[in-house]
Amino acid sequence: MSGQLDIVAQNVLWNRLISVCEEQANALMRAAFGAIVREAGDLSAGVFDAHGDMLAQAVTGTPGHVNTMAASVRAMLEIVPLESLGVGDALVTNDPWLGAGHVFDFVVVTPAFLNGKIVGYLASTSHIVDVGGRGWSAESSSVFEEGVVIPVMHLRRGTVLNDDMLRIVTTNSRVPHEAQGDILSLLACNDTGVARLLDLMGEYELSDLTEVADFIFERSALGTKKALSRAPQGIYENVMLLDGYDAPIELHAKMVIGEGRIDVDLTGSSPAVNRGINCPLNYSAAYAAFGIRALLTPDIPNNQASLNAIRVVSEPGLVVSAERPSPVTARHVIGQALPDLMLGCLEQALPGEVLAESSGALWTLSLSGAGRRQFTSLNVALGGMGARPSLDGLSTTAFPSGVGAVPVEAAEVAAPLIYHSKEFAPDTGGAGTYRGGLAQRMEVGSSIGEALKLSAAAFERLTTGPAGRQGGSNGAEGRVSITDGTVIRDKGIYEIPAGERLILQTPGGGGFGDPAKRDRAAVAQDLSHGLITADAAKTIYQSDDTNS
Amino acid sequence: MFRLAIDIGGTFTDVVAETPAGMSSVKVLTTPHAPEQGALDGVERLLDALSLSYGDITAVIHGTTLATNALIERRGAKTAFVTTAGFRDVLEMRYEKRFDQYALDIQMPEPLVPRPLRFGLNERVLADGSVLVAPQDEDIEQLAERLKAENIEAVALGFLHSYRNASHEIYVAEKLRTLLGDAVTICQSAEVAGEIREYERFSTVCANAYVRPVMARYLQQLQAQLQDRGFGGSLLMMLSGGGLTTLEQAVRFPIRLLESGPAGGVALAAHVAREVGSRKTLSLDIGGTTAKICFIENGLPKTTRRFEVARAWRDVKGSGLPVRIPTVELVEIGAGGGSIASIDALGRLKVGPKSAGSDPGPAAYGRGGEDATITDSHLTVGNISADGFAGGMITLAPDRAPAAIAKHVQEPMGIESVELAAAGIIELADETMANAARVHGVELGLDVASFDLLVSGGGGALHAARIAEKLGIRRIIVPQNAGVGSAVGFLRSPVAFESVISIISRLDDIDTQALTERIHQQLESVRSIVEKAVQSDRITTAIKAELRYQGQGLELFLDLPEGGEFAAGLSELETRFQARYEAMVGFKLKNIPIELVSVSVSAREALQPKPATDQQQNRTSEEIQTRNIYDLKAKQFLTYSVAERTALDDSIFDGPAVVSEAQTTTLVRPDWTVHRSALGHLVLERSVA
Repeated sequence: MSGQLDIVAQNVLWNRLISVCEEQANALMRAAFGAIVREAGDLSAGVFDAHGDMLAQAVTGTPGHVNTMAASVRAMLEIVPLESLGVGDALVTNDPWLGAGHVFDFVVVTPAFLNGKIVGYLASTSHIVDVGGRGWSAESSSVFEEGVVIPVMHLRRGTVLNDDMLRIVTTNSRVPHEAQGDILSLLACNDTGVARLLDLMGEYELSDLTEVADFIFERSALGTKKALSRAPQGIYENVMLLDGYDAPIELHAKMVIGEGRIDVDLTGSSPAVNRGINCPLNYSAAYAAFGIRALLTPDIPNNQASLNAIRVVSEPGLVVSAERPSPVTARHVIGQALPDLMLGCLEQALPGEVLAESSGALWTLSLSGAGRRQFTSLNVALGGMGARPSLDGLSTTAFPSGVGAVPVEAAEVAAPLIYHSKEFAPDTGGAGTYRGGLAQRMEVGSSIGEALKLSAAAFERLTTGPAGRQGGSNGAEGRVSITDGTVIRDKGIYEIPAGERLILQTPGGGGFGDPAKRDRAAVAQDLSHGLITADAAKTIYQSDDTNS
Repeated sequence: MFRLAIDIGGTFTDVVAETPAGMSSVKVLTTPHAPEQGALDGVERLLDALSLSYGDITAVIHGTTLATNALIERRGAKTAFVTTAGFRDVLEMRYEKRFDQYALDIQMPEPLVPRPLRFGLNERVLADGSVLVAPQDEDIEQLAERLKAENIEAVALGFLHSYRNASHEIYVAEKLRTLLGDAVTICQSAEVAGEIREYERFSTVCANAYVRPVMARYLQQLQAQLQDRGFGGSLLMMLSGGGLTTLEQAVRFPIRLLESGPAGGVALAAHVAREVGSRKTLSLDIGGTTAKICFIENGLPKTTRRFEVARAWRDVKGSGLPVRIPTVELVEIGAGGGSIASIDALGRLKVGPKSAGSDPGPAAYGRGGEDATITDSHLTVGNISADGFAGGMITLAPDRAPAAIAKHVQEPMGIESVELAAAGIIELADETMANAARVHGVELGLDVASFDLLVSGGGGALHAARIAEKLGIRRIIVPQNAGVGSAVGFLRSPVAFESVISIISRLDDIDTQALTERIHQQLESVRSIVEKAVQSDRITTAIKAELRYQGQGLELFLDLPEGGEFAAGLSELETRFQARYEAMVGFKLKNIPIELVSVSVSAREALQPKPATDQQQNRTSEEIQTRNIYDLKAKQFLTYSVAERTALDDSIFDGPAVVSEAQTTTLVRPDWTVHRSALGHLVLERSVA
């Protein structure tokens, strides 16, 4: 089978498949509606073999789409019989349990035909701005209130677009044309991907992808196995406490590191709640796997084999494995806590090699008009990343999410808001030999003197800050208040009266190592830069030189 | 009377003179501490050789990497940043996201201005340009005292929404100028890069302020020294965007000089494209460490306003400082002659981005380099011969190359022969470069297969044919003197200046009259800059509108007519945008308003007429020699004919063949033909479908 020449060709083909996905993802990113989606790169693109196994995926894209997409292609092919697919057909769904965990994410899958036979599939996912329901908040008590759900169906049959399906979406969406534009972009980018895939098969005179798939899976499996062997085999458990909607939620993990694979069981976590911060297991698994892979196998590309090495299971019906009809809009509140939960297990396996806890879930800043002028504005407020074993944590930078903030100028052009300030908050990075990343303090109000409505759904870690490691201190917990004296402690809906402002302070990253061992020059610089106060320098870092 | 170009790079300074008799050049070492010395030394040597004097020079055209180096090495002025109170950390917060998802040890670049030197001033302009809080004189006076106490050399001013209403920046700048005196440089963000998005604008103004004192001193020094020696012509500077500007503008906006070297290279490619009548050209420059690609349409290189300088973490995209300046749109790929082939953790063959550079260089250089590089692979398969490499400057040790490939690639991967391993390395490098061109082409909405491939650099002509095959390209151009580089490009560049106005308004909301007025004012201003160096009847101007569907990020550029037809042009924008969008994306959207994001106006010197052609030096054909070259597809050696470039003429020569010359080797693969055009450029054409 594999001749010598094939090794070179296989290498070339693997690179090309990744490049096909990159092209798809780039095209999608630029065509996406909604600033937050573009900033986020909240999308993904991948190429699959004839069995529905993922061969390659674009490196752009959020961790939440990584594994979910690999699973959703299979799930969709189980629902639609293979024989019924023809040239030009494309399938679509936004079912949270088949796609990426909430109704906003649409997945489109397009088969690639060569000589009348399916040789592979192209898939892409992206976040659609609005699909009806209550919009972006955690207030729904079931998924039925969260927007329109499209079961797996044809988006296109041959050359005929499924206008009925598009009309259902556009009829239910607050921004119908944008929603339609985004869905059509998924279709168009898959078409480009199919053409590229067939080009490369032509160039290398391939009639199927079996040989290249074998090569990719074999190399990835071997590489993953080798990389995982760095962590000693054993059973490691970790528990994390989150604020929850209005009552604490416990996340529990039992991680079994075995020979070339890691099994995670989330059983023991709190049961699902009746507000939209629940997470379907597919999305939990995606983020759990991301945390493990970022630490142990960062250089191995995403594909079926590299993902197969990490299995995440749970008893159903928990906050990490919510079942229909649990509400799931803000599922990232739970999902994005999972990497830290995993890293806590790995810290026991590899003490001293694991970064401290980060601020976790993105603080989605969802503001809308509560006065005469109607508008909605979505942004994110980022906290600090945990300190690394030999580096400070990154300040105001999301981890595990890859999402960035919308620029203040762009946010103010898009909605009648004034950001009055946005600055580092001193003493919020957990103290340590390596300091946790700093949080930020922001003040936001209306620019037209009207009341605002706020969804606090994603303001997590208001009770306990992210934990430090190896003697490092916790990062500061987040704080949210309104200038009228209201202090926000749950994830509900709040009104900011006319003339008042919202004050946000995100959580800081945890510190790493004993603060007394921090490099003195680094302490002095933090002090002169105003990142720590003179008091902290003296009492926590035990620095005598607090004059600068 | 003649023109002279000076290109100061990190290692070498090139000086090129274009006299009626042709091009002459000299290469000297760069003198980093006083770069003008090396340059003047080179000029003097060239003048001596040509028996000409400074008085004979009509124009000196200069490009330099000095501003870039000052940013990379952090050797700029002590700079303060003054911004809207509450926002002094914008510069350090950046995009607030990681540029690599999986690398947990990434680091962000230190901001050019440290936190203690970033000051918030109580003032605020809103998104619609209205004033919420006006700056107070008392605050400015206090600030000036702080700046004096810190011995600040340069002040960057950047207030929120100044792209919409710059009055606060202007007012504070004037006040500070009075309070601080002329010795302190003051730069305003709306003037340097008047575009929305505070981080990029602030980053650009800080970079400009940071390099301006250094660059101003240097440029004025160079001019004075040239004049002392009798030079009476004009000194023009090469810009990142591919045009030339006056010294006065260069001193105000030195940040626009950043990429002048690469821009010169692209300018030369664009010139050759015009000469050979190539309307769609993909320029590929393969050097020792990297390859650069740029798309050229109708003889004009694609430009962008997004650029990143001084990458701080493993040269990864996103780890540098963003600057919003007009720049020739180059995509850089970590693959060049010195790129190292290795086996990664998955047992995959990998080429680059690590490079052996020129020291120790490829294994075949015999200077202690142990790694298997692309150059070693070319030597092993027979694409290049051991003698005469790089014009005879480097003698290759032929046995070291296969030994390195055997050790690092062939044996670990269990490949049957060293030639096959070498051919595999080259194939992978070709694939990497072709992929980059393909992805970039998609981004720009271009059909790469319909382009000609124009190659330069030492390795361009070796890789061209295979890359063209991968991209479906059917014509390749290997310019005469492909190795002489950027300096010649300077001589082929028009004087030009571009300026951008941020608008962000729905097309149906635009006050046409006010916009027309604003654009024509701006047009006059860029025109007057170009007029300092070019006769007004030789200036052309252009207006480009940047449009998108409201809420979307895919921005398209469309040309707008000038003068009386401007308003009519504006009214046609919607239809034209829809058509372009559909051509690019595959469908168009109904009922979504279209937004005018910005308008850029530019003035440029009309493209120069063709220069005198080099004299043809037709030699009689010597007897045809042959060389064996290993072929990856055939898995065996094939016989290639060998021809000297000078021996070719306009008759068609069939591949497989190699065409050799001092600086490079052109590989004419099977199914390709080659001939030499009247202007001396090699043209390769694919002979089969």
